[in-house]
Parts: sequence; C-alpha cells; structure tokens
Amino acid sequence: MTKSTHLLSWFLQLCIVALLAPAAYFKLTDHPESIELFTDLDMEPTGRYVIGFLEAIACLLLLIPQAIIHGALLSLCVMMGAIIAHFTKLGFSEMFSFAPILLVILAAVIIFLRRSQIKSIARMLD
Amino acid sequence: MAGSVDLHKVSKFANMAIPSLAVLFFVGGVYVSFYFHFLTVAFILLTVVNLFYLHIQRKHTILRNFGILGQARYFIESIGPEMRQYLFANDTEERPFNRIERSEIYRKAKGVDSASSFGSQLDFDNSEIKIRHSMYPVNMDQITPFSLTFGEERGLKKAFTITKPYMISAMSYGALGENAVRALTRGAKLAGIPMNTGEGGTPKYHMEEGGDLIFQMGTAKFGVRNDDGSLNDQLLLDLIANDSIKMIEIKLSQGAKPGKGGLLPKEKITKEISELRSVPMGVDVVSPAHHIECTDGESTIKFIKRVQDLTQIPCGIKLCVGKTTEFREIIREMKAQDIFPDYIAIDGAEGGTGAAPKAFMDGYGMPLMAAIYSANKILTDEGVRNRTKILASGKLINSNKQFIALALGADAVCSARGFMLALGCIQSMLCGNNTCPAGITTHDPELQRGLDVEEKSTRIANYVNGLEHDFYEMLAASGIREAKDINIDHLYIPSDTALSDQIQFIVKETSEY
Repeated sequence: MTKSTHLLSWFLQLCIVALLAPAAYFKLTDHPESIELFTDLDMEPTGRYVIGFLEAIACLLLLIPQAIIHGALLSLCVMMGAIIAHFTKLGFSEMFSFAPILLVILAAVIIFLRRSQIKSIARMLD
Repeated sequence: MAGSVDLHKVSKFANMAIPSLAVLFFVGGVYVSFYFHFLTVAFILLTVVNLFYLHIQRKHTILRNFGILGQARYFIESIGPEMRQYLFANDTEERPFNRIERSEIYRKAKGVDSASSFGSQLDFDNSEIKIRHSMYPVNMDQITPFSLTFGEERGLKKAFTITKPYMISAMSYGALGENAVRALTRGAKLAGIPMNTGEGGTPKYHMEEGGDLIFQMGTAKFGVRNDDGSLNDQLLLDLIANDSIKMIEIKLSQGAKPGKGGLLPKEKITKEISELRSVPMGVDVVSPAHHIECTDGESTIKFIKRVQDLTQIPCGIKLCVGKTTEFREIIREMKAQDIFPDYIAIDGAEGGTGAAPKAFMDGYGMPLMAAIYSANKILTDEGVRNRTKILASGKLINSNKQFIALALGADAVCSARGFMLALGCIQSMLCGNNTCPAGITTHDPELQRGLDVEEKSTRIANYVNGLEHDFYEMLAASGIREAKDINIDHLYIPSDTALSDQIQFIVKETSEY
C-alpha cells in the first residue's frame, strides 16, 4: 500500500465509523425510532441488539490497524442486510435510508485497497 | 479409488447451489422471517467470490475450473507440512532430520536420559556406516582428555586450544535474532566451546555475551570491507582487538550453496542489521561468489597469509569440496608457498542455511563423509597432514555421525542446526521468512519473546555435555585411548555408500595425478 492509498483507506474507515457508530448507539440504547424500525422487521428486540452489537464491533475493528479488513467485511455484510431490509420491508422514505448503499460502497473500496491483507486471498492472487 | 467421485461434477453442483441457496434464503427472509437474511448475505458474498474465482481471475486453473470448492485444495495443501510432521510422517522419514534424531537432541538438551528400548528403528541392511567396537574396551581413566590447539604449527603466541571436539557453526546476527544469538553464545561459553559468528558483520551481540568467538569473514566481508569488497586491514585489526575473538575463518564456500555467496532475504533486514552490515533495506543481500582477492590458488593462499600476518591469531578457511583435483592443487599451492591455514573446515553439501537457491541446496557439492575422507587423504598423500587441522560440518548433530567424521579424518566437528534444535527449533523450515515459530531465525519481537535466553543457554550446555559424555563412552567402547587415534579402521563402511565410491575414486585419482 502506498501512503496515499493508506490515507484514503483511513479516511473512508472514519467515514464508516461516523455513520455506523450512531446507528449502533441508537439500537443498543432503545431509541424509539430504532424500535419502530425493528418492529416493522418483526425482529424486536433480539434482532435489534444483535445488529447493533455487530455494528459496534465493526466500528471497533475498523479502528484497529490489524483488523481493518475484518471490520470492513463485517460492515459490508451488515449493510447488505440493511439494504435488503429497505428494499423488501422498509422502503426509502427518508434520507438515511440510502446510507447503507453508501456504506457498502465505502466498505467495498476499503476491502479493495487492502486486498493484499486478506492472507488466504492474497495467496490466490499472487 | 480414481473416479469414484467426480469432483468436477460436485463442484458444478456447488457452483449452482450457492446462488440458488442465496435466492432461497432471500425468499425465506421476505416471507418467513427477516433472520433468514443473515444467510442471504453470507451466500451472496460466497456467490460473488465464486464468480470471481470462476470467471475473473486467471492465475489459478483449479479455482477457475472448480470455484470455491477448489480453494479447499489450497487450504489443505497449506497445512500439509504440519499435518505430515505431526500426524503422518513416521519417525525415520523426515528430512533433513527425522524425529528420532531430533528427539535425541531434545533429550540431551533437557538433560533427560536417552536410553532406548526394544531395538533400533534404523534399517541395518541398508547403506549406513556403523562404528566398530573393540573386544577390549578401555576404562574411562585410560583415555587422554581431548585437546586441540589451533596455530601451534606456526608457533603462535595467541594459539587457541579447545578441550571439547565441538564448535557452533557460523550463524550471524541477521540469520538469527538477538535472543537466539545471545542464548547460543552464552550456552557456548557455559559449555566451554567456541562459537562462529557467521558472516554478518560486526558480531555485536556475540561480543556482548563474550565467550570464545571465531570471526567469519564471508565473501562480502561484512564489517571489515572496503567499498569495493576488498579487505580493510584496519577494520579487521579494530575488530580482533576484542579479546573474545580467538580465530578468523575465511569462508571460501558453503555446503548449502557452494559456488554462490551468502544470501540474507530482505524480510530479515532490520534497520540495525542494515547498519551492522552497511547494506540497504528492502532488497535481498547477496554476497559475491568469491573473495575479490581470491581468483586462483596462488592468490587465495596469499590472501590467507595476509590475514594471518595481519592478525597473528589462528586463521582457518571454510570450504565445500567440489572437485578433488582442485583441492589437491590448492594443497600443493600451500606447499609451494609454505603457507597453511590453521584449519580447513570442510562443509558437506548437506549443510544447512537460512536461504539458498533450491538447485544449489539440493544439487551442489560433495557430501560430507566423502569430502572429509578425500581432504584427509589428499593432505596425508601430500605429506602435510600435520601442518593444519581439519574441521567437519554438515548434519553432524549426533554422537554417531560426529564419531564417523572424526574417524574419517576430522580433528573436531562443527554443527549449527544441532545447536538450533537444542535451542528449541522444531524444524518448521521457515528460516528465510522471518516467521520462525521457535523465535530463532526471526527478528519479530513477538516471536523472539518465547525464547528465554537464560533457560535456553543451559540447554546448549546440556547438549554439549551429553555429546561429550557419548564421545568418551564411544572412545572407550572402541578401545581408543586418545581422540587422534580414531581412524577409518574403526568404521564399517558398506560398499554401496557414497563414501565407499569416493574411497575407490580417490585411490584411482591419486595414482593418476
């Protein structure tokens, strides 16, 4: 990784954390809007805690140098779930409904930038 | 069982099943429970990776044909060496050292009794060299203790005497990490044997630990070089001002890669090492194939004389024998100039290394036993055997092999890997990767952490004591009263060994040459 891609990756990581951390916080602190959302998905309250917990973990991993790639993968997965939710149940009524799409793209870019750090995949690409 | 399962069909089924399952789980997520989407997401990812393997990447045929199931092959292959070593390889089939040989060293190093039961696991009908005992063993108190003085032939004031027939072969800081160097040097000091510093430049950590050191001057002369690779006299004098340095070894070639210079992979070049050797970071350091001063027999001997005159301490050479005719020529050149190195260390082709090209490691050089016999025979034939000493190295990790080398003409034996095993090496063969799990050939502080210098240095001393105990027991059993009396008559040499071939060859060569 060159210095510029390194910086770009960190900028993107911080963007994801900035968007994901509040989402995790609201879910884990029983924010009414989160409760409403997960009631619509019929996942209240277990699903809300599980997803909130996964989002929090993803944020943490994105900030630990050795685990960035895993954080990016985890946020990619969680956000894919969110996109499915918006497409199938929730709709795109509000601005923040589009956030998961943005986050998936950011996570994908980070994974691409750091592809050499996935050991098993790196060996395949050599 | 060939063809009992058509793996291509299985993989085609899997390649269809993965996206189908993704769709199925998606439907489940929409109509049954949103929790199904955890699986949907996982299978979408698998589908994407699989599509990448099958249609985008072009480097791996197996992945392109079989997709994600093909990855199992790579995974299983990657854990193969560990599986074989732990589960499937039998006690006598591993290389370079099988489990029987390794366990023997571990036992010696830990000071555990090494008596075995029921019988030998070696194959007695094959071509192994055995040692002949005497019907009349001698008592321990009849044996003269071992002593060997380097430089006595030249009447050096700083002649160097060893009292055990062992030395630790050349291992530099660079090839080894700091902890390993400290443990080995400290252990050597405890055991009272010298350690060779290797060609890694100023042997900082070796010298910090003290003890007796042999400074190795490799072909690149790290630590004592001018910019063009020639010897800088002043730097060498400055270095030997340190009392620890008892001898100088000019490395002409090495058994693991004869005809090539040393190689330190870039992974192992830390900032400190780049400074100690004055080499750049980030590129492999490849030493030249020969000393710039040594282009033929005459110049080589002159260079040896220059170092001897300059340092006034014993000065030997290390080489792997290639052509015996060349070896004979250089001995004749020594006779002509009346200059002899204080010792000639013969490195067998089976010698170890941190990094060497496969072709050289596997295919070049004469095996030790044949080489040591030839060197001794040629020196004797030329009438100059008493002018120098012969050291032997190359897989001499256990008492038997060492005794055989001594019987074939060596005055003392050197080993590196034997001492690495005593240090806790588990033969994972990663010396060049900087990822040594035993913390020996790595500079990674997290891996070196496990290697406790104090604890392991006593293992080195235990190992030496164990070897020495065996050595005297074997002398007694063979009815030998003094180590210098060990000779080839004490060996049983089957006719289909490399050594047996060489004995016949060298007799023929001697009559023709």
